[in-house]
Amino acid sequence: MHIVCCLKQVPDTADVKIDSQTNTLIREGVESIMNPYDLVAVETAVRLKEKHECLISAVCMGPAQAESILRQALSLGVDKGILLSDRAFAGADTLATSYTLAQAVSMLDRQHQVDLIICGKQAIDGDTAQTGPGLATRLGFALLTYITGLESFKPSQRKIIVRRKVEEGQEVLEVNLPALITVELDLARPRRASLPGLMKSLRRKIEVWDKNAIEADAEQLGIKGSPTWVRRIGVPSPRAGGPTFNAAEGLQDAVDRSLDILFQDFFTADEPGVAEGEEHGKKFQGN
Amino acid sequence: MAKNSKGIETAEIIADKCIACQICIAECPVGAIELSPEGTARVLPEVCIGCGECAEVCPVEAVAFDKAGRKKFKKAEKPGPRIPVPGRVVAVYIEHNGQKAADVSWELLGKGRELADKLQARLAALVPGSEINGLYSRVQNIGCDEFHVLEHKSLYRYVSSLYGHALSAMVRRVEPEILLLGATSQGRDLAGVVATHLKTGLTADCTGLDIEEDSGLMLMTRPTFGGNIMATIFCENHRPQMATVRPKVFPMPVFSERECKVIRHDWSPPDDARIPELIDFIEDTTRAGVDITQYPVLIVAGKGACSPDSFPMLEELAGLLGGTVACSRPVVEAGIMPYERQVGQTGKTVAPRLYIGVGVSGAVQHRVAIQGAERILAVNTDPNAPIFQVADAGIVGDYTQVLPELISRIKERKKSRHD
Ligand SMILES: Cc1cc2nc3c(=O)[nH]c(=O)nc-3n(C[C@H](O)[C@H](O)[C@H](O)COP(=O)(O)OP(=O)(O)OC[C@H]3O[C@@H](n4cnc5c(N)ncnc54)[C@H](O)[C@@H]3O)c2cc1C
Repeated sequence: MHIVCCLKQVPDTADVKIDSQTNTLIREGVESIMNPYDLVAVETAVRLKEKHECLISAVCMGPAQAESILRQALSLGVDKGILLSDRAFAGADTLATSYTLAQAVSMLDRQHQVDLIICGKQAIDGDTAQTGPGLATRLGFALLTYITGLESFKPSQRKIIVRRKVEEGQEVLEVNLPALITVELDLARPRRASLPGLMKSLRRKIEVWDKNAIEADAEQLGIKGSPTWVRRIGVPSPRAGGPTFNAAEGLQDAVDRSLDILFQDFFTADEPGVAEGEEHGKKFQGN
Repeated sequence: MAKNSKGIETAEIIADKCIACQICIAECPVGAIELSPEGTARVLPEVCIGCGECAEVCPVEAVAFDKAGRKKFKKAEKPGPRIPVPGRVVAVYIEHNGQKAADVSWELLGKGRELADKLQARLAALVPGSEINGLYSRVQNIGCDEFHVLEHKSLYRYVSSLYGHALSAMVRRVEPEILLLGATSQGRDLAGVVATHLKTGLTADCTGLDIEEDSGLMLMTRPTFGGNIMATIFCENHRPQMATVRPKVFPMPVFSERECKVIRHDWSPPDDARIPELIDFIEDTTRAGVDITQYPVLIVAGKGACSPDSFPMLEELAGLLGGTVACSRPVVEAGIMPYERQVGQTGKTVAPRLYIGVGVSGAVQHRVAIQGAERILAVNTDPNAPIFQVADAGIVGDYTQVLPELISRIKERKKSRHD
């Protein structure tokens, strides 16, 4: 069994703030981390390896410093880390990214047949959720997105059974390998690296592959291979705010004046929205 | 401006403004720009030839470069923009269950009509499925000029590879300039597959779509960097220009009657399609049909009201106004409410008539998803909470005191209105 995890290094977007005076990003203290969904992908692969004989490779397209997340993956139990790094890969949108990854997976496949690819559902910096579907389509692998559970894995029959989140519930699906799954955060809680794991990972070598190593067609890489371009960047346009009232200076007054603003025409004769809502009438049940 | 040892005025990256899109790195003709360990671009002055190409292509003006000292160099020819053909088509993928189209598909038909009118193009609905009779009984009322149907029994349920293949086949025949899909779980999955088949550009989760006047290109605006920045994207040389849009971003349209042709397409599934077998379906009972986007009033609990004790109060308020309770992300993370109730960039975009935020600070990732609310009330102890900047009215105070007062005043108002 050969499992490939696709990893991305992302800025910890929770920390990214905008300086509203200058409209610039405040980068101070913003760390680069492994995309949290990809960490779940690694965890999923490592759990499979604990039960079945597997080789796990991790690939990451990014600049030289993205090596750190591959090393993190090694410390968690991944066997082989490959950094796809080349100036020609820069500026890639999802189409060019899925091409680059597909080439890399094909190379890995020549060394050892690839059965399963695990990607995070999405990356937290772009939130596009498109690399997985693109990669599966290019390779002709079965595609299963939004996976919340791995029910069973049958290497001898080359089958996998997964749970997939859709709007109305969960599908339980069986599919023949090779397949690509994209995983949700709740699939598995990622472990922390053990000390021996950490120590060992430091000594391991991370292979760096450039465009020649993946036998890529330069026209399909990076910015050249990307149909979409950024025209301009702006900050979200703010909604105009209204007055605020301080409850400490009179609670009833604050509430009344707020209601006056909000409900000028809200409790009018027909109340279309309100009536509809009452009809729904479903109470929140908790979980 | 700095000069290098060869006396060339070099470009410099303003790290604060750089968003690490890497466009300059790719466009630099001599490879003089790299990504620094801090994650921003930087120029290697000794390699820089002072051509200023990086300053030209930077979307955020993060390159300091003195144009006066610009050194000319021969630029590789880029293909010109595709000349738009008359009789163009704007297409919308209709997500449906055989009987009814998803709301987001309607919303996109509304937007699609607007874009088509600007381009003087036809609006086409693309509808793959198995038995979809229920859908085209009233095609003259959906704002479309064409209704394309591809029926095949294998499409009785959504399978990425089959739907991807079918929709790609329809697009190859209809040749639309633009293809819009809802950013539902199905739409996002499908869009990625179709864009890859067609080798075209795709912009996910757009919050704004427009036509650029002189070029006729679609401008697609989407939040990026965790919602801190809005990027406007375009797709110049590939067709169709594809975008997904989340539900409730665009309003529900009202269409007048319009002549609409129904066109049927033949198709057979590819032999090598990998079809997962559905062996079970577990209906989500915790959700029990609650879709927060459908309620006219939302009482949204934030981390500041993240306690099971507060729920009776929140529910009473919601019940009084005919709404339901929703929440911010930390409340979901705390395990107090299910993900389906989450409002925000990674939750749901909502457009209720009234949004009441209780102990919600109003982080950008939350605010982007409530832009469409008709009225916003915020209750927060912190007078500087960003939510107040977007609220029509705000009450600075502890919700445990404010909410009971709010509830009793609303009761009184309702009562006096009935009297
Ligand atoms: C990529 C990304 C995606 C994200 N997606 C989402 C998303 O979809 N949805 C989302 O909501 N967030 C999202 N977030 C998180 C977001 O950045 C904020 O952390 C989150 O919205 C904060 O939630 P909050 O306002 O409930 O909590 P806080 O920011 O902690 O605010 C709590 C507020 O409660 C107030 N308060 C405390 N006690 C009281 C009291 N007794 N009475 C009244 N007020 C009180 C405080 O003054 C404070 O303003 C995302 C973040 C990232 C990086």
